[in-house]
Amino acid sequence: MKTTTIAKPRETAPDTTGPAPAKRRRKLNLTPYLFLAPSLFGVLAFLLLPVAIVAVVSLFKWELLDSPTFIGLENYRKLAGDGDVRHSLWVTVLYVLLSIPVQTVIALGLALLLNQKIRGVKFFRALFVVPWMATPIVMGVVWTWIFDPANGALNKFLGVFGVDGPNWLSDTAFALPAVAAVQVWQYAGYNMLFFLAGLQGIPGELYDAADTDGASKLRQFVHITLPLLNPTMFFVLVTNIIGSFQVYDTLYVMTEGGPDKSTEVLNFRIVQTAFQEFDFGYASAMAMLLFALILVFTVVQVRFFNRRTTYDIS
Amino acid sequence: MNRTTRLCAAVLSGALLGLSAACGGGTGGSGDGELVYRTWDEQQKKGLEKVMAAFEKKNPGIKVKIELLPWDQYWTKLTADVVAGTAPDVFWMSVPQFPEFVTKGVLADVSDVVKDPSQYNKNVVQSYTYKGKLYGVPKDWGAVGLLYNKDLFKKAGVEMPEKLTWAPDGSGTFLPLLRKLTVDESGKHPGESGFNAKQVKNWGFASWNHYQTQWMNWMVSNGGKITDKPFGKFAFNGPKEVEALKWGVDLINKWKVSPPAAQTNPPSAQATEMFQRGQVAIFPANNALLPFVQPEANFKIGAAAMPEGPAGRAVNINGLSEAVYAKSKHPEEAKKLARFLATPAAQKIMGEDGYVFPALTSLNHTYVDYWKKKGIDVQPYVEESEGKTFNLPIVSGFSAAEKGLNQNMNSVYLGRTSPQDGADKAVQDGNAKLK
Repeated sequence: MKTTTIAKPRETAPDTTGPAPAKRRRKLNLTPYLFLAPSLFGVLAFLLLPVAIVAVVSLFKWELLDSPTFIGLENYRKLAGDGDVRHSLWVTVLYVLLSIPVQTVIALGLALLLNQKIRGVKFFRALFVVPWMATPIVMGVVWTWIFDPANGALNKFLGVFGVDGPNWLSDTAFALPAVAAVQVWQYAGYNMLFFLAGLQGIPGELYDAADTDGASKLRQFVHITLPLLNPTMFFVLVTNIIGSFQVYDTLYVMTEGGPDKSTEVLNFRIVQTAFQEFDFGYASAMAMLLFALILVFTVVQVRFFNRRTTYDIS
Repeated sequence: MNRTTRLCAAVLSGALLGLSAACGGGTGGSGDGELVYRTWDEQQKKGLEKVMAAFEKKNPGIKVKIELLPWDQYWTKLTADVVAGTAPDVFWMSVPQFPEFVTKGVLADVSDVVKDPSQYNKNVVQSYTYKGKLYGVPKDWGAVGLLYNKDLFKKAGVEMPEKLTWAPDGSGTFLPLLRKLTVDESGKHPGESGFNAKQVKNWGFASWNHYQTQWMNWMVSNGGKITDKPFGKFAFNGPKEVEALKWGVDLINKWKVSPPAAQTNPPSAQATEMFQRGQVAIFPANNALLPFVQPEANFKIGAAAMPEGPAGRAVNINGLSEAVYAKSKHPEEAKKLARFLATPAAQKIMGEDGYVFPALTSLNHTYVDYWKKKGIDVQPYVEESEGKTFNLPIVSGFSAAEKGLNQNMNSVYLGRTSPQDGADKAVQDGNAKLK
């Protein structure tokens, strides 16, 4: 990843070993397609086909134990006027805004710290990745204990300083930030790995040259490190924002969407509608809405990063 | 595949994550002569294996395979299997889910294999009766009673009386007992000057948002009702019901004999754990909780009947049934299994091993004997079952309504919403999800 260009992917790699291009073009070479077949099958069967199914199901009224009836865009019309869905959309966006910036800054900060030659650096790198390896459900349970207002570690700790900690998970003001904090805790170390890889791909000569020119560390960070981390930043942001939009498991364990729907993200409504209310048509329409939302966010990011200069330093 | 396509694919896969699970096929169908019996309870599986072995011995040529699915997936998978026509031949059914399945014609009428329903627990039989016919073999029953920590009673110098009473205004013998059992770090009790509700060592009670063991019981024992009729609507927002709900909340916020709702509200509910840790003296629970609580507790557990309210004692009785799939590929064999499951020979096994009270009331003693050996006298549960009881709401679409009920009641228990507003909203939200 460290040398990938985002702005202009190379058209074709010059081929110096194979037969002459003109000769190859004449007959269809099946070999690459055969190699592609397994993953192509996976994409078709497990990605595109389900998407198509959901798109079709969203046009039906289908309560699972009944037979489906075609209702056209009725589910989408219902979506437009559904206050609960609008609320969930807002909560979802808020969750993304609460988690992503903090998580990314911490990940980058950790990477900068652990990119230095200090004793035990390997140990610390491993340590910060440990949270990522834990199951979100288990994490949710453990954090529920930590957030317990009376017996929990967090409020006990705050109590030492005379601070009367809030009822984290049952207070509408704190529940969403608390769950977002768990995500930050779980993924910051993992994302640090990508930044670390990105940092190590930046040639040291650039910094040497900047030092010679008398650039401060801050200038070096702003004008060398950040621009050269662009591809990494792109990858980290896109994948994490998609992941944040889809948060479900920690919320399921910690708040079940409560208190008073304050943590009811769209994914939660989808699962509730599909598997508790068995209204598959409507749930599918919501899934399409989430899909569209993520798509828009991703396209915006692609545009944003495309407009910025990317340096090929390979 | 270029980057954009790959991104799109990633996006698509994400949006679908939740729904793709529904596409899974069924595993219910099986080979010739093999019946599939599905349960969600890992603990009971051992007992069920004995039951099936006894059945196979009596019916050579029929094999039964027990399928275990965790609770979280049970209903989703069962629904998907029903849609695919591959549901298991015999499976566990619970009261809240029953109306949905029976009205859609998924369950077979078993009136012919359960010959004399009056021999089974009446609540369980009622719960699985639809249009005068029985759609499931009554399997077991469990009641809500009081589990209590005998060590904490001894420490407080009190004894569990034969009979307890409560009333919405706080009169009766129950509240004074809870006050004596609640003690803060400096040894003070609620009502005494200097009592600090933030530094409580032991709580007398755990009043929390749990409909089955808490507020529904208070409501009915105050002369209220939960639904207007079986297969009807929620109707627990009248004066009697709201008064009872307020009593449950007052135990926490007014009388301070129960831990705050911030600690006990689902889903992060810690009430059961607090009882297990010895922080709560009296804990209302279905006896089905005993096998989970008893091995963990490092104190002596006692069992007592629920307190009597203004309208007497009324406890929830909940039981499971073993349903036969209406479209089973082995209808004869499935019925044979159902017939066997209804017999004392099968039900005795589950009682003798202490899993459940068998639905056949003549076998109640098998369960009582098992727990007597473990040092817990569960006879009060039997006495409760012979008095005034009520069922879990029999409404179509309970699983859809449940979340609205829980969320609104969470607010009430926290003291953020008044009991009247909370009950109104819960009834309104709940009924909106019913079919």
